[in-house]
Amino acid sequence: MIDLIEVFDRADRGPLISDQDYYMGRFVPKLAKVILRHRIQWDKKTIVNTDDDLADRVFQAAIDLLAETGVYCSDTSRVMEFSRDEILRAVEQAPREARFGEGREAKTMYGRSVDDPSRPWIHIGGGIYTTDEQIYLDTVEGMAAINIVDSLSVPSILHLRGKDARVRSPQELLAAIKTVILAREGIRRSGRSGLPIINGISAAPNAVSMIAAAAPQFGLRITDGFLIDFLAEMIVNYEALEKVAYFNSISANIGSTSTPLFGGYAGGAEGVAVLATCYLIMGTLIYRGSYHYNAPLHQNLRLSSTKPLLWAIGMSNQANARNMRYPTVNLPYLGGGAGSRMYHCEMAAYMLAVVPAGGNIFSGHPAKSVEPDSLLPWDHQFHAEIGLAAAKYTRRDAEPLAQAFYKKYEALLRSPEAGFRYGEVYDLKTKKIVNLEYLRMQEDVREEFRGMGFEVLPS
Amino acid sequence: MEKEEQLDKLRDAMKELERENVVAYTQQALDAGLDPLEIIDLGLLPGLTAVGKQFENEEIFLPELMISAMLFQNAMAILQPRIKAMGVAARKKGVVVMGTVKGDMHYIGKNIVRLLLEISGFEVHDLGVDVDPLKFIRTAREVKADIIALSALLTTTLVGQRDVIEALQGQGVREQFKVMVGGGAVTKRWAEQIGADGYAETAYAAVEMAESFVGSGVKPERRGI
Repeated sequence: MIDLIEVFDRADRGPLISDQDYYMGRFVPKLAKVILRHRIQWDKKTIVNTDDDLADRVFQAAIDLLAETGVYCSDTSRVMEFSRDEILRAVEQAPREARFGEGREAKTMYGRSVDDPSRPWIHIGGGIYTTDEQIYLDTVEGMAAINIVDSLSVPSILHLRGKDARVRSPQELLAAIKTVILAREGIRRSGRSGLPIINGISAAPNAVSMIAAAAPQFGLRITDGFLIDFLAEMIVNYEALEKVAYFNSISANIGSTSTPLFGGYAGGAEGVAVLATCYLIMGTLIYRGSYHYNAPLHQNLRLSSTKPLLWAIGMSNQANARNMRYPTVNLPYLGGGAGSRMYHCEMAAYMLAVVPAGGNIFSGHPAKSVEPDSLLPWDHQFHAEIGLAAAKYTRRDAEPLAQAFYKKYEALLRSPEAGFRYGEVYDLKTKKIVNLEYLRMQEDVREEFRGMGFEVLPS
Repeated sequence: MEKEEQLDKLRDAMKELERENVVAYTQQALDAGLDPLEIIDLGLLPGLTAVGKQFENEEIFLPELMISAMLFQNAMAILQPRIKAMGVAARKKGVVVMGTVKGDMHYIGKNIVRLLLEISGFEVHDLGVDVDPLKFIRTAREVKADIIALSALLTTTLVGQRDVIEALQGQGVREQFKVMVGGGAVTKRWAEQIGADGYAETAYAAVEMAESFVGSGVKPERRGI
């Protein structure tokens, strides 16, 4: 694989064009061409693809897209171009496993294959905004205490002395450090201090804050995972490349992260499937990731549980699983609020779409990730169990169930059910669930799932 | 050819994004002596409205929206000299100054709103991303904007929306502009908290809100939040 400094150099010497020329002259027409060339078509009905040849064609289309379009660096206005040979070598040398955690919590996340009966990696949580330090600690402790969990995404806490930190401010840097310290403390309180955090660092969008808060004095380790985003679509900037330079220099796990937008430059389901797969390849070639956060999103609804998106997300997992096996978790942006029936049904459809497709488990982000204090550990345990239940299915068997779950929430997508906040469910002193309505809902949903033939066993 | 027939052809060409025909039919209509403002109002804009509906229904996506805006600009390049010669101004629904607030580099959502506003007949001044709060106000005053539209994706950049509203208040010009906010991290609660005039959750809702703000020339009551 070409070395990292050569990758950075490409951002300094590729063709110089405007971003609009990149999109209208390169990205949009090339994406349309590779979709046509490789006959990528969604039938507007299927959620879980069972056509292996189609999955392989999506992968080839992703390679063609990267080779023919390149990646735009917004700081230099240049296109980073890579030859087909360089791309194929990156695919061939992509990691197939990533090691996370310390001591007895040290484990390996694998890139799975399609219809793989092995236990997937279980990742839960989310970088959702939290309003109170006590709720933050209790949320993290509660999630880390779930013994089937392999890694955590920790929420963000952005305020200092009652005020929200502003981006690129010294307060943001301090809030990022505070987030890390609180997260590690919450995990320590659960009795599993070696458990890895793999969304480092949710409270630090800019490079300086992220690198500062990653200092080992505050509790993060190279065996945790550090997320570096691609900007939508196919854009990198110096800030991202600086993070790449730093976290590679300390040999930390890097999670390449992408959020291709349905309805944006990529267009519909076919474009998102190809682009999401392309980002996986870019993750290993440009960011040298150990794992990937795959987070396609509907640009208008701001969730990822629509039918075309479920197909596209599953398809990118299948394309990866059959051709590269880069370890991947998929981020379910769900519409339903925490604890709602809709939220759990969306999660079931999502897990059935991605786990038999070769993805790993990641619990659902409720309420489009905009409702503060909405990470409820009991939900995330249930979602981990839903993921494990989905792992027992092949893609063929998962399809009718995914369709059945989708039907249950389809009509609610534009106006999702509201849910609960932490303080409405948990007693803040005893940390026990005291909201019986919330508990009953989850029990009813579990029973409803069983009635549909999808048994989610309590862990 | 009848006037209606010519305008129908133009509308359909715009709706179907027929690059060459939009320009050709615009020229033909002009050569046939049609009023350029009628060509816009009864040919181009209905076609663009149909494009916007297709976008809303997820039948087409951002690239097609961009093409429609480009076609409209091409047609306007033909019509503008004649409009100018007539000594009238092309009608517009209103003037919007928009951008992604300071510290935030995200632009796709903003670009979609911009295109939908443009094809709905607004004059849009897009300041891009990472925009200084005072630049919004300076530009809005320069171009005599009706609306300032502020986008923010990240929780840490939301404060940039509040900054603009505070700066408007500080300069004593808050009442001159309607302020609408949107973006991934924005909620109705946040919009209320900072005193925005409106919050749009989707791009199409943003257009509807902008239309209501400029409708009938009367400054509307606060809505949408």
